[in-house]
Amino acid sequence: MQVELLGRQEVWNITYDHALGATASYFFTQIRDNCKLFGRRCAKTNKVLVPPRAFSDETLLPTTEWVEVGPAGRIEAFTFVYEQFNNLPEPPYAFGYVLLDGADTALGGYFKGVDLTNPREAATRLAIGTRVVTKFAEQRKGDVLDFWFEPV
Amino acid sequence: MAYRVRPAVIGCAIRPAIIGRDRSLEEIIYDISQAALADAGLVIEDIDGIVVGCNDQFDGRAISVMMASGPTGGVDRDILSTPSASEHAFVLGALRVASGHFSTQLVVSWSPTEASSMSEAQRLGADPYFHRALPLDELSAHALQASALNHVWPNAWVFAEAVAAKNRRHGAVAWPDPPARPRAGPARWPLTERLTTQPVTGAVAMVLAGESFVAEHSCKNPAWLHGMGWATEAAFLGDRDLALAPALVAAARQAYTEAGVIDPTAAFDVVEITDATAYAELIAYDALGLAPRDTIAARMADGWFARGGRLPVNLSGGVITFNPVFCTGMIRIAEIANQVRGCAGPHQLEGARLGLAHAGSGFAMQYQSAIVLGAS
Amino acid sequence: MSGAKDRDRVGIIGIGQSNFRSRRDDASYPDLVREAVVPAMLDAKLDFDAIDAVVYSLSPDAMVGIGNAERLGVDAVGGRNKRFLRINTGGATGISSVTAAYYHIASGVCDVVLTAGADKVGECGDSQTVLNKIWDPTYERALPLGTINMLAMSAVRYMQRYGMTEEDMAYVTVKNRRQAALNPRAHLRKVVTIDEVMESRVISWPIKLMDCCPQSSGGAAMVLASEQFIRDNKLDAVWITGVACRAETYWMGDRMGTNPTAEHADAYALGRSFEQSYRMAGITDPANQVHIAELYAPFSNTEYHAIDAARLVAKSGESVKRVRDGEFELGGRLPVNPSGGTLCTNAIAVTAMARVAETALQVWGRAGAHQVEGARVGIASGNGGDHQIFGTMVIEA
Repeated sequence: MQVELLGRQEVWNITYDHALGATASYFFTQIRDNCKLFGRRCAKTNKVLVPPRAFSDETLLPTTEWVEVGPAGRIEAFTFVYEQFNNLPEPPYAFGYVLLDGADTALGGYFKGVDLTNPREAATRLAIGTRVVTKFAEQRKGDVLDFWFEPV
Repeated sequence: MAYRVRPAVIGCAIRPAIIGRDRSLEEIIYDISQAALADAGLVIEDIDGIVVGCNDQFDGRAISVMMASGPTGGVDRDILSTPSASEHAFVLGALRVASGHFSTQLVVSWSPTEASSMSEAQRLGADPYFHRALPLDELSAHALQASALNHVWPNAWVFAEAVAAKNRRHGAVAWPDPPARPRAGPARWPLTERLTTQPVTGAVAMVLAGESFVAEHSCKNPAWLHGMGWATEAAFLGDRDLALAPALVAAARQAYTEAGVIDPTAAFDVVEITDATAYAELIAYDALGLAPRDTIAARMADGWFARGGRLPVNLSGGVITFNPVFCTGMIRIAEIANQVRGCAGPHQLEGARLGLAHAGSGFAMQYQSAIVLGAS
Repeated sequence: MSGAKDRDRVGIIGIGQSNFRSRRDDASYPDLVREAVVPAMLDAKLDFDAIDAVVYSLSPDAMVGIGNAERLGVDAVGGRNKRFLRINTGGATGISSVTAAYYHIASGVCDVVLTAGADKVGECGDSQTVLNKIWDPTYERALPLGTINMLAMSAVRYMQRYGMTEEDMAYVTVKNRRQAALNPRAHLRKVVTIDEVMESRVISWPIKLMDCCPQSSGGAAMVLASEQFIRDNKLDAVWITGVACRAETYWMGDRMGTNPTAEHADAYALGRSFEQSYRMAGITDPANQVHIAELYAPFSNTEYHAIDAARLVAKSGESVKRVRDGEFELGGRLPVNPSGGTLCTNAIAVTAMARVAETALQVWGRAGAHQVEGARVGIASGNGGDHQIFGTMVIEA
């Protein structure tokens, strides 16, 4: 006997209010108010960690000082997305990681100002090592989307 | 079945109510992990494995172990995660030490309150096939369990109120300067506001070590694992007799067999029960063999389970005092560990040598665990 | 930490897997779990009474759309009133579950443990939307991160360091599909050419559609037992002789920049995990002592750094030439992913368990059409999180 197969739609709909803590809050308020980027130094390895955190996950020691980094840097990784995913931006777009001048770890962000029509060509334009500069939005909220990177 | 290597708890950190929004969840996890290591007199390099018990829906992260691996010390280390329950992180950590493959384990659990609605987050645990459309969150499940118990024991509600009052009195002693005033939770018939507590953010961490490590490091006052049992009830509430806890009976039997406990009313000096509600505590008295249902009235009248009584339960104040929902189970284990280690604080029971921790989680205590810890 | 030789071993006595497909409208999630549990129990020749504990394998709840979905699986695994806990390490969950089951037995507490799970990825719309939520809300959630573009960035760095090309990536897909065609359990079994892969649409450059794993539905289950139990009951078994787990930093940006400990092009913690499991198993020369490898690689490029990390080649990057030379395929010297691997079948909650299951079947001589002749020593791996948590095993006849 053929059984009629039914389905049900469900939506996961929970809003979270995440406390960012003092370290991330400082990072974002500096972006929002001053268009400046900062990292935190781990005293043991001397590495300047960007984005900044209250402790290093490598040494488990608290980080010790604020260090201004950027606004220029070099590309460490990139990709170009051509596929639409639910609730993610409309393609095509490029994003990746940039090692800002003065930092030892790379910061994630969008890349703008590159023609993405042909990915293999765009890949040479944004190759690893390419110099970029951080651009800031006119209206800033204190958010990762307040800035992006463009090739110099 | 004997453990290949006997595990012991050598450090604990308990923060059952963390107030304020000055730290991110990762910073809270870092603090509690560091505190447990400090209590054990160790540094992260002494730890060869980590198990975390955390819930994706409460944390707002689809794989909560990812962000947690940094603050717990998981980078370049072995870390696993048991999102089923905080107490399962303790269980797995203990099994790993017992295998002899690991000298130590750090086990950590936390429960944030960043979700706009804990109830909504919990309701996602109801299956979409038959139950999601119902208002079935943990409080509702506890309410169903309470009404099931009242049905077979019409005076249960009287004793539930007394249990909650007892635990509150204990909480006042344990926390003379509490981090937060417990706030009554919503009522949900038959649970009155006196029987529920609003969720708070909390965290707990413990360090376990094996026999040789304890000897080599001259750990001062280990709490040795004598027995451990854990089990689950059926999935659908409708398949269960909510007035009973067969999974807890099974878990207790596992733990008591391992620990050589014949008469739990005589063996233990101190007990912690996860009083998700006071009804759960009443059911646990029976399932743990501390008081069959028809003896509870008399034993409570004799003050058995109160401070100064024959078998004090929840000297910590229990969940009615602080309700960091997801980690309440591991907190009970840490409280008992501290009791037999002699470092429980204002609520220390003098001469506590053997303790029983009960952990329960999920809809109407679906997961049940019993842990026996001793000073020798 | 002493080696496995000092103590009784832990063996695998039963295996069950679904025939993985995309949508399974005919089955609920617990049904898919049961689908694998029943054959595993039959394979082990045991009743549920014999099971001392269950370890439940389930990664992000959001994929199946049920919070703590393991609770619904309790009956599917015969878990009422039994020891039961659940593991979640993202994509590595399946191998972490077998690992946890291993410790239940190695501790001396249990003799027989069942580990099982299932995924119904096809139902959640698209998995990248869910997987975007694994990144931290503080700094990275607003970026359109997903597992595909995360590993596309790994590919970009691997290209720059070792000269891997898009054709090299395509070859891995071609090899694995050819192998999956021989495996009735695999999801994507259609043989493809390099040109077809190269012409498939770009998802996140350089990863194209055919460089990606599918979203698969299905279950997997395994029964483990102590050596004592196996001998007492005269059961047939294969042995877990090495097991380990290692995590690296969650921060992808820390795997770049100045002297990173873990390099994003490579799989640092996977290498550390293999080191530990090789040490435990007494393997000193994996390239020559291992006969078959099921290495978790959901995207074609990632098979290369997995082979590097498993030290099946002398130096990182060498895997590319050696794969193109045919060394690591069925018929070659050391077949990698003869089942088709994760690239051809990915039911996230159990994919890493399937790696263990396939490796076990191989050294057991039961792999059927995709059997590696004479395999007696095999390795399996699983990856989870943002390429962060890794589990590895050595399994021997």
